[in-house]
Amino acid sequence: MAEKVKLFVNGQEVEVEAGKNLIDAFGAIGIEIPHLCYHPALGADGNCRMCLVGIEDGRPPLVPACKTKVAEGMKVQLDAEKIKKIQRDIMELELINHPIDCPICDQAGECKLQDYYMKYDGQPSRMTVKPVLKAKKMDFGCGVVHDQERCVLCARCVRFTRLITKTGELGIVNRTDAARVNIFPGRPLNNRYALNVVDLCPVGAMTSRDFRFKQRAWFLTKSPSICHGCSKGCNIFIDHNREKYKDDVIYRYRPRLNEKVNGYFMCDEGRMTYKLENDNRLGTPRVNGREAGFDEAIESVRRAVSEAKKAVVLISPNASLEQMFAAQQFAAAINAPVSGYSDGYVKAGDGDDFLIKDDKSANRASFALLGIDDSKTAFEAALNGADLLLSFDNDLSRSLSGDALTQLLADTKLIMVASSQTDCVAKAAVAVPVASYSEDAGSLVNCDGRLQSYEVAVVKNQPAKSLIEVLHLCGGEIKSNQEARAGLQAAVAVLKDIDLEQIPAEGIALTESEVAHVAA
Amino acid sequence: MSGKVKIMERKGKDLYERLYLVEVFKGMAVTFGHFISNFLDNSKLYVRHYPEQKPEITARWRGRHRLTKHEDGTMKCVACFMCQTNCPAKCIMIEAGERVDGRTEKMPVRFDIDLLECIYCGYCVEACPMDAIRMDTGIFAVTGSDRQSFVMGLDALLATPGAFTEEEYKKGGA
Amino acid sequence: MSQLDILLLVLRVAFGAFVPLCFIAVLVWMERRGAAFFQDRSGPNRANICGFRAGGLVQNLADAVKLITKEDIIPDHIKHKFYFVLAPVIVFCIALVSFAAVPFADALIINGKEYLMQAIPTDLGILWFLALAGFAVYGIILAGWSSHNKYGVLGGLRAAAQVISYEIPMGLAIISALVVYGTVNLTEIAQYQGQLLFGFIPMWGVVLQPLGAIIFIVAAFAEANRTPFDLAEGESELVAGFHVEYSSMKFGMFFMGEYVAMFTSSAIIVTLYFGGYQIPWFSTETLVNNARAITVLLMLLTPAFAWVFALWMAKNNKSHYDRPNDPRVREAQIYTKILWGVVAALEIVLFIYLITVSGGVADRILVTLLQIVTFLVKTTLMCFVYVWVRWTLPRFRYDQLQKLGWQTLLPLSLLNIFVTSAIVVALS
Repeated sequence: MAEKVKLFVNGQEVEVEAGKNLIDAFGAIGIEIPHLCYHPALGADGNCRMCLVGIEDGRPPLVPACKTKVAEGMKVQLDAEKIKKIQRDIMELELINHPIDCPICDQAGECKLQDYYMKYDGQPSRMTVKPVLKAKKMDFGCGVVHDQERCVLCARCVRFTRLITKTGELGIVNRTDAARVNIFPGRPLNNRYALNVVDLCPVGAMTSRDFRFKQRAWFLTKSPSICHGCSKGCNIFIDHNREKYKDDVIYRYRPRLNEKVNGYFMCDEGRMTYKLENDNRLGTPRVNGREAGFDEAIESVRRAVSEAKKAVVLISPNASLEQMFAAQQFAAAINAPVSGYSDGYVKAGDGDDFLIKDDKSANRASFALLGIDDSKTAFEAALNGADLLLSFDNDLSRSLSGDALTQLLADTKLIMVASSQTDCVAKAAVAVPVASYSEDAGSLVNCDGRLQSYEVAVVKNQPAKSLIEVLHLCGGEIKSNQEARAGLQAAVAVLKDIDLEQIPAEGIALTESEVAHVAA
Repeated sequence: MSGKVKIMERKGKDLYERLYLVEVFKGMAVTFGHFISNFLDNSKLYVRHYPEQKPEITARWRGRHRLTKHEDGTMKCVACFMCQTNCPAKCIMIEAGERVDGRTEKMPVRFDIDLLECIYCGYCVEACPMDAIRMDTGIFAVTGSDRQSFVMGLDALLATPGAFTEEEYKKGGA
Repeated sequence: MSQLDILLLVLRVAFGAFVPLCFIAVLVWMERRGAAFFQDRSGPNRANICGFRAGGLVQNLADAVKLITKEDIIPDHIKHKFYFVLAPVIVFCIALVSFAAVPFADALIINGKEYLMQAIPTDLGILWFLALAGFAVYGIILAGWSSHNKYGVLGGLRAAAQVISYEIPMGLAIISALVVYGTVNLTEIAQYQGQLLFGFIPMWGVVLQPLGAIIFIVAAFAEANRTPFDLAEGESELVAGFHVEYSSMKFGMFFMGEYVAMFTSSAIIVTLYFGGYQIPWFSTETLVNNARAITVLLMLLTPAFAWVFALWMAKNNKSHYDRPNDPRVREAQIYTKILWGVVAALEIVLFIYLITVSGGVADRILVTLLQIVTFLVKTTLMCFVYVWVRWTLPRFRYDQLQKLGWQTLLPLSLLNIFVTSAIVVALS
């Protein structure tokens, strides 16, 4: 446990973590100090003055909470009349030129300005002069739309491009009324984390072109999950909503704080992977190229398995630990070799030193845990003499060229248990739809050997069966995640002492990785 | 029976009222008075001969909805979803899109009100920050031959005129 | 059996069968219009044939068409379909048949032979009615039970308990009436009431038996399942009670049965306590002896009455809103013409009677017709009381209903028997 200090807030003694500033330290124990420009990942800037608090120890009457470290015996004033007046005045200042865009602003509902107005201000405007008009709906590139009128000049976005991405595309130009955030002429945002400024912006000045006008924030259900875009395993919120008479649809991913994995951010590509969950999904099972009922498809899988001379089981590197284990057990039961061949999921040289990794699959590290070989040679060796290939959501068309796949399928029957519609599914003899990760629960091991779990987020109107259920229907022993976890604990030495049902929010480091924690 | 029994005082304890018959006859006299006067002259019945005699609709009366327009003919609605959020019957279904008529940024591309689900509470009108939705059409009888015909689309909502002048409507407390 | 015998038999049976049926339409209309006027509404005024709404009677035709053409549903869950179908038939037929013993005119004497003016010329009289009224509730219980529906069963049970409770005071009230009349034969009872008490008061049952009359009327209301005793239907708590599963004409049978029962019990009440077919102060013999004078009186009264009726029609049969060429006024004018046509025809018939066949058998037939009209008018008025009570009194609570039956009506009717018997014994 971190060191604690005792201090007084509004005369009441509290105990907080030492070494932090007032906003963070108090925030951890549930006392909120309003702030606009401060962000834990971007450091204190002290330009918004919203976090001014009083400290009764002979200092100047007011200090910014973001720049003040907690100290033993400190007497902090949060509710004095003068503090309230300052907060009111700051709000009034911020709102002088703020347009009443709330009805058309995507930020409405999760806007700090709205929240603070309701909490700390609540007064009608006294302004009689017309507000300063600035540019609206500016295309900043990378799918970021900027509205200068809504901006409160907290400079979070500017600091993000300077401190985090170190690209520095944004800056504040001019002063006073004319001050505004802008890009350099002809130099739009150009980095792979640009959409984080949308989340960082406390108001609606930065909005995402992709999410623009799709939904209001308050309609969205925010379910925690884990991004499957690459092997980093960034923690995310899946924002989804079931509109009346429609299906449960995901509208966006947002990064979720996990100091040990992704900090406060995620990459733009990862954000856009929500589209794969919505679109192009495999809906109806297919048998020999025609649509079939689910039971019929399962029946034909069982028949194919029982008739096959030699079957090979191919597992997706995106599958959860539990699913991999269940598939492994299933393969052992039907006496088939298991492969994790998925070279096509790796995009060499694409990764960087921050969050993006070369490996675009979420759980390749589990292959090593379970002893599943994902090399091409092993896959080819396994295929030798095989007449049935069972692929559990492993899209072979990513790893093999079209010709190679056709050649492979010439003497091998392919059964795809897949969540989306791919070339491979189109060529498969039997295709069985299965729930994707947003509709399923499970555990993942990321590239740094950190074990994390995710829960069911989206429930479709006609939910697809989870991979474990499909495996069970096809003759697998394991019926549920619980059984798989029990089996995993017995089979894998590293997991023996870990309660797989109760993985903490930050995850558990399985191996002491050399890779340092992401400095958020 | 462990519940607390509360004994109510009964009215009409005296013999005269307990006889009941006298009170019955008094009641019957009252109703007969109505009967005979209506029987002899039916011109004073409390009846509106509805399809021929229309009821008088006041400006505050909540009729079928409409979407209002600016003077230049562009719609006032900016698709803020306030009405949909407030709707207790969840009968409003909006899809927002980029504005194309030159005003601000946002407008509805689809705005459906299912009149079969609507309970005519008027919350949408109260919630609207733009005065874009009103229930002042004075239309109270909505008929159709199938369910789909009760779903009012954007065009139909915009095409319906209000039944009152702006002054009358404002006087109604809107 | 002479041809005359057969003719009269057919006529009387036809009367007993068709008059209650015709009265269904009249009573439904009366209920609707009455309810409306009691509540300051206008009642049925839309259904019409070529603009003729017959004061709302056409609405009944529309209802009949609707009920007949509706889908006749027997729900799948009903196991005893035969009883399910049988129940409304019982209710309807029993109500119809129980009218058979009611005399609608004094015995007609033709050529020295006496013809009882009842559909079934039986001496059973009031016993016939009692037996059948008790049987009618079987239909209701059967309907409730065979519906296989908790509301239905509850409705049927209530009806059963109610009939048991009220048949006793009803029977006891009749006993005291029988003590007075000394006979169960309804024709004789009606003849008895043609006498005069102290020479100037008509000796109606209600005068001789005021308490008995009230008890009997209350019990008759309960037997007919009419408000304030319609707990078997109790729509506020039992949806529709015993007929909740019935649709189409099966429901129609219950509906019609209710009105036939209402007509029948009105007829019984009139016969027992309101002089039956007797015209007060004018006994049958008086009427026969003064047939000519009465005919002249009728010839004078008919146009007078028609004139008043025409005035009333002109005043009330018009639209109460601006309407060019008000079709209802035109309708009223046509009705007025028809009315005067009927009056003229009646005058002619009476005139022909007066100058040709008066005296003898024709006089007797005339008097019989007069008595039939009197009987029907009295019964209609009694039915109006049924409607009147229905739209005045709220429904009893179930415990109130039972309390009234057992704790009030039963002791009162017993007391009535003792008092009546004592007086009858003392006077004889």
